Amino acid sequence: MGAGPVRLTRIRLTGRGGQGIMLAGAILADAAMRDGRHVTETQEYGPEARLGATKAEVILSDAPIAFPEVGQADILVCLSRDGFLKYGGRIVPGGLRLVEETSVSEEALDRDLCRFPWRERARHLGLELTMNVMAIGTLQAVTGVVSEESLEAVIRERVKAAYVEANLTALREGERLGSGVRAPVVSPEGKRREGSRHGFNDLQ
Amino acid sequence: MPKMGQSVDRFLRREMLPTVWCPGCGNGSIAQALAMALDRLGTEPKDVAVVGGIGCSGRTPFYMATNALHTTHGRALAFATGLKLAQPDLTVVVTSGDGDSLAIGGNHFIQAARRNLDITLLLYNNAIYGMTGGQAAPTTPVGAHTTTSPATGSVENAFDAVELAMAAGATFVARTTTFDMQEMPVFIERALRHHGFSLVEIITQCPTYYGRLNHIGEAPAMLLWERDMTDAQAGQHGGWNTGIFREESRPEYGDQLRRRQSGGGA
Amino acid sequence: MALRMTMGNEAAAMGALAAGCDFFAGYPITPATEILEEMGRRLPARGGVFLQMEDELAAMAAVIGAAWGGARAMTATSGPGFSLMQEHIGYAALTQTPCVVVDAQRGGPSTGLPTLPAQGDVMQARFGAHGDRPAIVLTASSVWEAYAATRQAFALAERHRTPVVVLLDAVIAHMREPVEIFDLPPPGRAPWPGSRTTKPPFGRHPFAPFGGGRDPIVVTGLSHGEDGLPTTGSGQAAERILKDSITAIAHDPELASGVEGFYLDDARWAVVAYGITARAAQAAVESLRAAGVPVGLLKLHVLWPLPEAALIHLADRVDGILVAELNLGQLVMPIRAAVAGRTPVEFVGRADGLLLAPEEIGARLRTGSGSVVTEQGGRRDA
Ligand SMILES: Cc1ncc(C[n+]2csc(CCOP(=O)(O)OP(=O)(O)O)c2C)c(N)n1
Ligand code: SF4
Repeated sequence: MGAGPVRLTRIRLTGRGGQGIMLAGAILADAAMRDGRHVTETQEYGPEARLGATKAEVILSDAPIAFPEVGQADILVCLSRDGFLKYGGRIVPGGLRLVEETSVSEEALDRDLCRFPWRERARHLGLELTMNVMAIGTLQAVTGVVSEESLEAVIRERVKAAYVEANLTALREGERLGSGVRAPVVSPEGKRREGSRHGFNDLQ
Repeated sequence: MPKMGQSVDRFLRREMLPTVWCPGCGNGSIAQALAMALDRLGTEPKDVAVVGGIGCSGRTPFYMATNALHTTHGRALAFATGLKLAQPDLTVVVTSGDGDSLAIGGNHFIQAARRNLDITLLLYNNAIYGMTGGQAAPTTPVGAHTTTSPATGSVENAFDAVELAMAAGATFVARTTTFDMQEMPVFIERALRHHGFSLVEIITQCPTYYGRLNHIGEAPAMLLWERDMTDAQAGQHGGWNTGIFREESRPEYGDQLRRRQSGGGA
Repeated sequence: MALRMTMGNEAAAMGALAAGCDFFAGYPITPATEILEEMGRRLPARGGVFLQMEDELAAMAAVIGAAWGGARAMTATSGPGFSLMQEHIGYAALTQTPCVVVDAQRGGPSTGLPTLPAQGDVMQARFGAHGDRPAIVLTASSVWEAYAATRQAFALAERHRTPVVVLLDAVIAHMREPVEIFDLPPPGRAPWPGSRTTKPPFGRHPFAPFGGGRDPIVVTGLSHGEDGLPTTGSGQAAERILKDSITAIAHDPELASGVEGFYLDDARWAVVAYGITARAAQAAVESLRAAGVPVGLLKLHVLWPLPEAALIHLADRVDGILVAELNLGQLVMPIRAAVAGRTPVEFVGRADGLLLAPEEIGARLRTGSGSVVTEQGGRRDA
């Protein structure tokens, strides 16, 4: 749609049931709303959502969002292998893919996949379940699509009191992992991406 | 255990695996026990029809290598009634959840028990609605938590499927649990051999909703919960007693109808 | 402005509460279950009654009973349950019982595609019950509209003494969008306007429930006259009540204005769409407009009675209309009948659980050729 100056970013979060993908999507969407942006969030429901790959989709925009479905995402955040297999391909050419390093096998090591040791770090910090929030932290550090302050505020609001600190720690660890990572602008074919037609400028 | 493996495998539709069921769900154990019972019965998959309602439990027919009829919510027994009367040589098994059989299908449940048609109903009682995400079932114990019960726990009295079936006239009535994988296939086999309406209620675990909402835990903890809920003092703490409660011979509905058809009583 | 990310189903529940709903009976079914769960959480705290019934026939029956007990009553369901409710929706229509039914549509028929989106219940919402009856069907294409439509449904149900259906779809039902936090009225039941009159209980007279010091009345699913007693012989009195109601609904300006136009002033072609499909259509229209193509959108908030005047007005001004819906051709039929040849009416639809994408609608607007259902198979975004 608008090839104009409107910044519209379509994000797909995927992983296995139980990894907290729904919560991650909700935190991201809530935080973007706090930032004053237009947001839609859709999730997968039904029995299928309990099995194998699940996803949450968030669209962020500076203008009202007409169509809330993420077909080809601008950004994929992936926590599991089956998530990657099912949704890894549904992304715009040159789109950004932030993936848990164990979710892609060796042969899929595209140059433009950004792999992060979220699981290992979350385990190390003592709560593997926080890897969803860690991934959101990395997403924020790499892209700035959402502000750190809003993420923190939402986590304080949404997460059970006993787990707030662990999640904030995970968020910061995710941000640390992402800081200094330049969002790749090289597509798998090695061509320079021409900036997304969706005004994907916040990646620079 | 009697010879399992090859022959039991005949009754399982491997190509449909993995199942839609959550890890640790009791439904897989019931499907396995049904396959064992059918195997011991010495029948062939082509001579069996498994009829499922709607719900996690209702998906069982997809995993059985038998004829499969996956029907609508609550009405599996009515479909099975038509099927059995039209094709009396088939062994007809119905797999249905507690919501499927006792809420939306409650009337079909008592009517089927009353008619005494030769069908075996496996009633998967996980005390909650699994497929739709943890709402109250007619079997949810008082005080238990579901997404549609008051915050203090369910205030509705629970059905006792066994007593309901007996009152309605079922001629084979039993209850077992997924905790007891020795007993379950034996009861199912007995039910299959029984000529008339048979109910085997199986207390089974839904770790995803019942276990989580009631802070019981995952499958292993839930199996222990089943054991405790069905122990000798079951009646005293709101649990379930198990066993075969009725096994009696009464005229079977199909036989009765056919006798009329061929024009004579005796 | 305090905003909160809110799910469509939650918004529908809030709309009901804002309208004074104090009774809910339902049966779980995806993608409508969150309405049930939300009502289960909120109604008791507001002094209302929440019931999970044994099935949808029973839920609809309880809703009707509650209305006659003086409640503002509602249920919510999806396709299979909506089918089961039809008999009692007919009963509510004949007995002039105000009540609200939310149907979050999923792919059908039968168990169908649980729980992918569809708009396949549009005709059933109008004609699903046997016999002839008045019908009001609203719809929504955003979380905010899910709130507004459900709220409006109660007012219309009361005004016209008839069941009002709110058709959502699986996407709108489950989507979350920021909406301003809803203020709820204080709990408590407003009296029904007819409660104090001694007018006959049926016909054009306002609804009054049992009790409240009025003379006892008879409510029956048999055809009846204004006094409620079964008509013996031919049912002319009963037919007149139904006709009056159908006419009143057809002439209700609030219903007739249930449309919204986008870029229609100079549009050569217009899409007519509703629910989630209206959002795809809006995206399509915006991108074509950006490329200088003069197209517009007429979004429907009211499906039944069909806003015929608006459609005819549109048909007189454009070169063609494209009806887009998530079914294999439902509302396009009465739209064609209403337009009556004034302009070509084309159709684009699908019923495979996928949404119509903006590109798909846009492509049809560009070519404007042939009324064919989108070929199935192959994800369009793969
Ligand atoms: C007419 C109708 N209403 C509602 C539903 C939604 N639905 C699907 S499964 C189910 C209940 C599942 O619970 P249960 O029968 O206990 O089976 P379980 O999933 O626990 O095995 C419901 C309400 C439906 N499919 N059809
Ligand atoms: S939801 Fe419960 S009953 Fe359904 S598959 Fe999962 S564990 Fe089993």
